[in-house]
Order: sequence, then structure tokens, then C-alpha cells
Amino acid sequence: MSGTNAWSRGREKIRLFPELFAQCAGEATAYGKCVAGTTTGRQELKKDVCAKEFEALKTCFTNAAKKRAK
Amino acid sequence: MSRSLLLRLPGCWSLSVPRRGLSVSGGTSSMNVFDRAMKRRQRNWAAALRDGHKYEYLREEVGGRVADRVYDIARTFPVALDVGGGKSHVAEHLSKDVVEHLILTDVSEETLKRSRRTQIPTLCVQADEEFLPFKENTFDLVVSSLSLHWINDLPGALRQIQQVLKPDGVFIGAMVGGETLYELRCSLQLAETEREGGFSPHVSPFTAVTDLGNLLGRAGFNMLTVDVDDVQVLYPGIMDVMTDLQGMSESNCSWNRRMLHRDTILAAAAIYREMYGQEDESVPASFEILYMIGWKPHESQAKPAPRGSATVSLGDLSKIKQPTDEL
Repeated sequence: MSGTNAWSRGREKIRLFPELFAQCAGEATAYGKCVAGTTTGRQELKKDVCAKEFEALKTCFTNAAKKRAK
Repeated sequence: MSRSLLLRLPGCWSLSVPRRGLSVSGGTSSMNVFDRAMKRRQRNWAAALRDGHKYEYLREEVGGRVADRVYDIARTFPVALDVGGGKSHVAEHLSKDVVEHLILTDVSEETLKRSRRTQIPTLCVQADEEFLPFKENTFDLVVSSLSLHWINDLPGALRQIQQVLKPDGVFIGAMVGGETLYELRCSLQLAETEREGGFSPHVSPFTAVTDLGNLLGRAGFNMLTVDVDDVQVLYPGIMDVMTDLQGMSESNCSWNRRMLHRDTILAAAAIYREMYGQEDESVPASFEILYMIGWKPHESQAKPAPRGSATVSLGDLSKIKQPTDEL
């Protein structure tokens, strides 16, 4: 495959994922703890139970991506 | 649907192999979980990767252990078959004294073209593991390393393996099973439930150790040995787990596979790290490798003694003071 196409751009994004993810360790831990908590607690895991924590994680991730892209 | 070609490839001898379609007994309920054409495309893709060798660590390890089990049997096998062996990570450990001729089958022609160097004269045949194109009572040894877990009709495939074996022939297999990749499965399941409200399976259904004995017995094997190896591999993160699985051509190919959304992957990465992460920020992925050995029945094999033929009683065990004491 020559040049950039959807395949190579997608692979490039996957390669960047760990780097960006590492910058959001705090938000990731918070979200992870929230979900892991539902497996042990009385509260059942339903859609958007941890939506707040996920939004924080996603915002951090997208900001990291934008900063990286500059 | 049996597609078998004889390939003239460097490193492989082309012998004419007598073919006959083997009939699978009609009593089995054949499951159709996996898209075999997709698996073939995935293996072709993985084989063609330029840096594909760096994903082969699991296959190499398991191949070596299967070869160990072949060596444990003090016999020379004139003709052996490697089912779904791909590049054959087993044959490279075996010498000509143990196996004299090897036939290597796989659904993926690209993988067969890149089969690894071995002393043993090898014939490569492109064939599906579920439709072996060989006559009954052909092989002294059949090995299979890490390919049985993609077979739709496992009982049928095991029966075909039993049929192509000569009496007193042996089958040595290794497949992933049990709790393999439970961390990945749980993380994806929780992430999808929280993000999307439901989940679809992304990790294959695996055979449990307890079922394997039954399967082998029903296929007609004797003197079964089943043991389990737990292999844990540490990765930097969930993306590396999935990339490596893809490189190993172990990607999902079940008919009901669905795409993972970006948000779900992000969520799963966080959950994986939080629930299973180690102190050094790495995450483990567990592979439970099931090893099985089964023999095709033959009169020379030891049978249980007939009832009532005992000459001593277990109750007399306490009377033995020395090993040489006679009862």
C-alpha cells in the first residue's frame, strides 16, 4: 500500500493510543474503579452508570490527541 | 466443501496422497460458530506480514511443548500429520529419527508457503481440519498445535483424526481452552455493558478441560491424557493484546462478531488496567493451553483386568512391612 489511506491512518491512530492513554491515567483509574465497583457492590452494571467518569476520560483523551496532533 | 490442493513448494515434497472424503457420522449436531473462510483470510494476512515472526512466541512455546510430548513416546513414526499446523512450530523441534515423513495441512496457503525449516521431508497440503482428505489408517502420529479451537465441529474433527490414524497410532494435540483471555473478555463485556447497554461476545467460546476427556473418548481414543498449562503474558495495554492476537492470526472470526466502538475500546482499556493491572503498569493476558494425548485402540494396549481376577486385596496393604514381603 502506497501513500496514506484509511488503513494506514487507522493503524497510526492505534499506535498512538497507548501514549495518549498514559496521559489520562488518573481519569482512567477513576472510571475503572467505578465500573469495577459495580461488579462487587449491590449496584448492577447498567448503561451509563459511570457516564460522568467516562466523559472525563474521553475529554482528557481527545485533548491529548489534539495536543499531539499540533 | 473439501478443498485440498497439492502444492509444489520449495522445501515440501509432492507425493500423491490418496484421497477419499470421510463421512462424519450424522448423529452429531454440527455447530457453525466460526467463519472458516474469514479465518483463512486472517491467516493469509498474518503470514504475509513482514514482521510476522515477532507474534509467534505463543505458537513457538506450545509447538516446543508438543514436540516434547512426541519425544516422550519412545517410538519412530514413519508417517505423521500436522493438522492446522500452518508454519509447523512442532516439526522444527523433531528429528528424522522420530518422524520419517510429515504431512502438513492448513487452510491458509500463505502460511504453508512459509513453513519453517525442518530435517523431516514434508508434504504441504492445503486442507480444512474439518474435512481431512486422507484415507483411514494412514498415519502413525497426528499432532495439532493451537488450531483446534477454531473448528466448528470439534467432535467430528476428532473422529476424523481417529480414523486417519493407524491402530496403535497416537494423537497429540494442544489447544487454548478454559479460561483463556478471561481478562480481555471481562473487560470488553463490562465496557460494552456500561457504554452501550448490552454486549456481544468478542472472545471465542472455549472447551473446558472437563469436556475434553469426554470429547476424546467419544471420538474413539483410548488411554487419554489431558493436562493444562497456564501461560500468562504481560502486555503494556489492551491495544497490544489485541494487536498481538491479530498478528498471531487469532482474531475473532465467529459469525456473530460485531465491531468495537472507539468509546468501548477506551472504556475497556481503563477497566482492564484497573481490574487486572500489575504494579509496573503492565496488564496480563492468560492463555490456558490444554494438552491432550489419545491412542487409537489396538489389541496390544493394556486393558483393565476382568472383574474377579484379583489375587490380593487392598485391605492387606497395612500388612506390608517391607516392599519384598509376600502376602
